[in-house]
Amino acid sequence: MSEKGKELYEEVKQKINISQKEDTLERQFADFWKLACTLKVRQHDMRYAYDDTSREFVEKYKDHLIKVRDDFIENMDHYVKKCIEVMRKVNNMEVHYAKTNEEAQKIFMEELGQNKVIYKSKSVEAKDIGIIDVLKENNIEIKETDLGDVLVQLFKYELPSFQIGPGAHFTELEIAEKIKAVYGVELEPKAANIVDYFRNTYRKELLNDVKVSLTSANAISAEDGTIVLGENEGNISLLTRATEKHIVVCGITKIVPTLLDAVLITKLQSRINNVSFRYISLISGPSNTSDIQGTSVQGMYGAKELVVILVDDWRTEANNNDLLYKEFLKCIGCRSCNFICTASRAFGNLYASKYGLGATAIIRDYIHYGIEAAVKDGLFLCTGCENCYHWCPVSINLGEIMKSIKKEATEKGLCPPPLDEYKEKIFKDKNPFK
Amino acid sequence: MTKLIFLGCLSSSKYKQTCENAVKIIKTIDNEYQVLNDVPCCGALAYHFASEEELITHVKFVNDWFKINHVSEIVTICAGCYNYLSRYYKKYLGEDFTIPIRHMLQLIAIPENLSKLNLKYEGKKIKICYHDACHLRNATTPIIEEPRAIINSIENIELFEMDNNRNNSTCCGAGGGVYSIFKENSDYNSQIIFEQSKRGKLLLTACPFCYTALKRIKEENKIKKPVIKFEDFLTKIMEGADPISE
Repeated sequence: MSEKGKELYEEVKQKINISQKEDTLERQFADFWKLACTLKVRQHDMRYAYDDTSREFVEKYKDHLIKVRDDFIENMDHYVKKCIEVMRKVNNMEVHYAKTNEEAQKIFMEELGQNKVIYKSKSVEAKDIGIIDVLKENNIEIKETDLGDVLVQLFKYELPSFQIGPGAHFTELEIAEKIKAVYGVELEPKAANIVDYFRNTYRKELLNDVKVSLTSANAISAEDGTIVLGENEGNISLLTRATEKHIVVCGITKIVPTLLDAVLITKLQSRINNVSFRYISLISGPSNTSDIQGTSVQGMYGAKELVVILVDDWRTEANNNDLLYKEFLKCIGCRSCNFICTASRAFGNLYASKYGLGATAIIRDYIHYGIEAAVKDGLFLCTGCENCYHWCPVSINLGEIMKSIKKEATEKGLCPPPLDEYKEKIFKDKNPFK
Repeated sequence: MTKLIFLGCLSSSKYKQTCENAVKIIKTIDNEYQVLNDVPCCGALAYHFASEEELITHVKFVNDWFKINHVSEIVTICAGCYNYLSRYYKKYLGEDFTIPIRHMLQLIAIPENLSKLNLKYEGKKIKICYHDACHLRNATTPIIEEPRAIINSIENIELFEMDNNRNNSTCCGAGGGVYSIFKENSDYNSQIIFEQSKRGKLLLTACPFCYTALKRIKEENKIKKPVIKFEDFLTKIMEGADPISE
């Protein structure tokens, strides 16, 4: 046990104590999150007017998806090359392959040029690749467009939040009061009124003022280079059409072999989270027209330029060197593991990192910032129950990855001190309960 | 050759009556099974907070102990020991570990063994809930249907499935040493298990770790629902005692 281990343990304990107190931001989120998890899990077995429940939908495609992800991981180089080739040669996309996050950030800033504002959709990938950090460092104004993220910005909320509904823990009254305080507009505190307010104000800006937009991708088809994006608000539709330059930034693991697989993954993300993707965009290049004498001209009503930055960074290394988080390469980013995670449900945004809630966010923090960051995020709050594994549509055993990271933490003296004492009893006395 | 009843350190240290009940049940089925003294901890708990080297050293020590004592078969009464011995000993020891591992519930669920136990309940029909422990459902050979088969074989006892069952059961929040350092986890998750068991007269568990977590939540929150270990429940049925009493 090291002093650092003790310090990190105390830090986590202190965060838990704060979350137990009434009227703290952590407590407010924790209360909301418990309800959200219960609801989401229940919804999984509801049929609505579909022929199947979400659980049945996932089960129906699980074996296929596992094969698709295994195939991609085994042939990563092949699929990445194929995807880039078709994107460049057929789709007229400007494609960059970045070996590292730093390289991707440099390319992104070059593509941004003199623009000082970027409009973006929700994207864990942009955080993972460090785009958000570099934008902040360069004083670029980041304008979120997903209403949840808009609210998070409005409230200047800095704690980790629920990626799918980032502002869902704010009450209607709190939002109405905040709008009055910031914009001087009085609203009846009802969801519909709040939505109307943003529709009447922000939508115009999104239709007219966007020069450069940033999105990730739900999945990308290697066979035809199509980028698939799912959404319910319409913000992604605007960001990908009503813009001069649309920049897609994501890890190479977003690539899947076929277009049908890409659509399936996107649909699955919608079903498994019981969120309605009102729009699924299949984007195969910048807008163009050949209506004048058959001459192809790029940039009609939609985006004039489509830039894709595919980032490797930790991914090929994890694959080739069989790193402990290699399995994580298969993740399709559905985030459904959050709802059924024992630790996440109990600890809300204390079991999280700047990448979001739950084990996947902690693994990302571990990848980028190392073992101390993971311990600080609440690594040892994981019970190893493996609910995440049973729930995962591609059978990633996050529980085993977390156990391996715990082992590394232990080897580096970062194990919580009381567990160290248990260990002594197990290995020396051969009974921890004597 | 020794057919070993592996009690597990939690049960043998804290739940002696349960151990006696389990031994009685197992010996009714097969009298060749026996309990040995000074059985070492399998090391399951340490899996979350020990180095790979420490774990390997420990499983080798335990395996040597098995060899010295000529252990040829193991039946565990602890869910954690079953999961760890069957899943990780093979991983660490490979061909050097050849002992077949069974959990008590697997042994009991075999129809001819069930008939040896003569499980009959002559009281008024009752509904009970069973909590699937992570250790049992996550094992290399998962134990999911066996407890259900046992419960359903008892006349007048009906299983009421909780919302989260089988592979989707709610973890009690105690695993991985979390119980001893961040008990707030089981404060929440064990409560969910109780909430879901409302329609059962009692809550049955086959894991001593889950039992410990559930029992604390029950006492702290003055929950009336009896929480009973599987072997204690079966013993009551065999002895004609009230199965709902704790």
